[in-house]
Amino acid sequence: MKVATVNAGADLADPASQAWSGVTAEAVALAPVPLAAQPTEYIREAWANRAYGKTAEARVAAATDGKKLYVRVEWADDAAPNAEFQDAVGAVLGDGPLDTLGSAASPVTLWYWENGRGALNLVSKGPGVVTKGDASAVGGTGANSGGKWAVVVSGPASASKGKLGVAVWNGSNEERAGLAAVSRNWLSLE
Amino acid sequence: MTASATRQIAWVYDLNKCIGCQTCSVACKVLWTREEGEKHEWWCSVNTMPGLGTPKGWEEMGGGIDPKTGKPRAGHQPTRGEFGGGFDYNYYEVFYGGTAGKAHLEPQAPREGRWAMNWDEDQGAGEWPNSYFFYMPRICNHCTNPVCLEACPTGALAKRDDGLVLRDEDVCMGDRFCMEACPYKKIYFNYERRVAQHCIGCFPRIEAGVAPACVRQCPGRAVFIGYIDEEGSAVNNLVKKWKIALPLHAEAGTGPNVFYVPPLSPHRLNDDFSIDYKTPRIPPEYLESLFGPEVHTALATLSSEMEKVRGGGTSEMLKTLIAYKWQELLGPFTVDPADIVPTV
Repeated sequence: MKVATVNAGADLADPASQAWSGVTAEAVALAPVPLAAQPTEYIREAWANRAYGKTAEARVAAATDGKKLYVRVEWADDAAPNAEFQDAVGAVLGDGPLDTLGSAASPVTLWYWENGRGALNLVSKGPGVVTKGDASAVGGTGANSGGKWAVVVSGPASASKGKLGVAVWNGSNEERAGLAAVSRNWLSLE
Repeated sequence: MTASATRQIAWVYDLNKCIGCQTCSVACKVLWTREEGEKHEWWCSVNTMPGLGTPKGWEEMGGGIDPKTGKPRAGHQPTRGEFGGGFDYNYYEVFYGGTAGKAHLEPQAPREGRWAMNWDEDQGAGEWPNSYFFYMPRICNHCTNPVCLEACPTGALAKRDDGLVLRDEDVCMGDRFCMEACPYKKIYFNYERRVAQHCIGCFPRIEAGVAPACVRQCPGRAVFIGYIDEEGSAVNNLVKKWKIALPLHAEAGTGPNVFYVPPLSPHRLNDDFSIDYKTPRIPPEYLESLFGPEVHTALATLSSEMEKVRGGGTSEMLKTLIAYKWQELLGPFTVDPADIVPTV
């Protein structure tokens, strides 16, 4: 996937910014993180007969202003909000297994954004097996309109040459931790 | 993350002595849950039984361990509304609004569906003249098999060597599987800080030799603490030797370490108001639903000890339960909190 280079000063952090109009978005297919990979027996038992990760597709675009990499993710979600759990999205970066959001041996980085919570910088060693890193290194802004989320997450531009995946959590379905839809294949950023 | 301990701190609440005054609840509240997002959190709460309690209807919310499969059972995550409480009140209107005699203090929350800790106080069950209720304090059970710990994907929970189940809030991501898995529904969610929280067993006090606030502050001398495996301790005697203190909903399979001396009750009255000496006011089957079939033996033991003392005999069991010296309730944690020298 081509990382668009945009002039410094463009407001890439805003998913509604005009700066994104010239950046090509790519349709990315998503699939649920496998139940068998869920990290605790409780989660595997409790969700054995519950569907999750049903967000099937997201549109992903990436751009940089030289300082930061911005990833814009757009997906359809017109479900009524859940008072307890919020919609969320993550840009997955690194070299670990994507379908399980990393592993103990090969962690991935998650630039995670949750509605109402803001952005978190997470190291993920498996579905929901995350530790918090320096949140000031990442940013995120999102808005839901017309039954669609558009969110931009951002982090250091050094990630612009790596691999990118995305993960989506549907709060109305109580999705959190490893209960996510994740992109089926890595996108190579260039 | 560890799931086992070499010792186990345990609590015993004597439900024949609990007067429902909520001093334990408030002692805990003012010590631990006065920060942001904690308004609705009552790590220690006392509810009227039978009752829906807090969170509302918690006994029907699932969780725990399936005795047949040994696997965790799916549970419901109690919602903010089911916990209720944490209301703002119209203090300004009442005190400064010039509405003397008209406005009264009232929660600023929709009346429909309103709920809170101890909302159904003293409602109980049964019909006059045989209505009945009793009070039951509840805290985290610091279980021997803490299913909350197993459920957590980030490893935020750990069982300490003294048996307390504690959470590292820096590791907790607020995923709330612990709240679903806990069969006692005694874990809260802090919506401001996005972490789950529960009774910490007053571990900083424990480490300084001071009994937890809920224990030390109890005016009814109704709660004991100590190491369950320490022979001769009050909790060991009550639970293991005399078998008159029982776990709540042991069928949940998590090995709770809070025990209850079940409540005796007056006899039922017949329709002509004569006394039915054979039937206690609180239905034994209800107590069995809470404390298991052992409750009948425990109540019989209590009754026979009381008979013994009435007949002029002595009873170590009753002496223990009466707690003539209140320090006897504190187990090894007898240090006066006023004597602690702060280390930070």
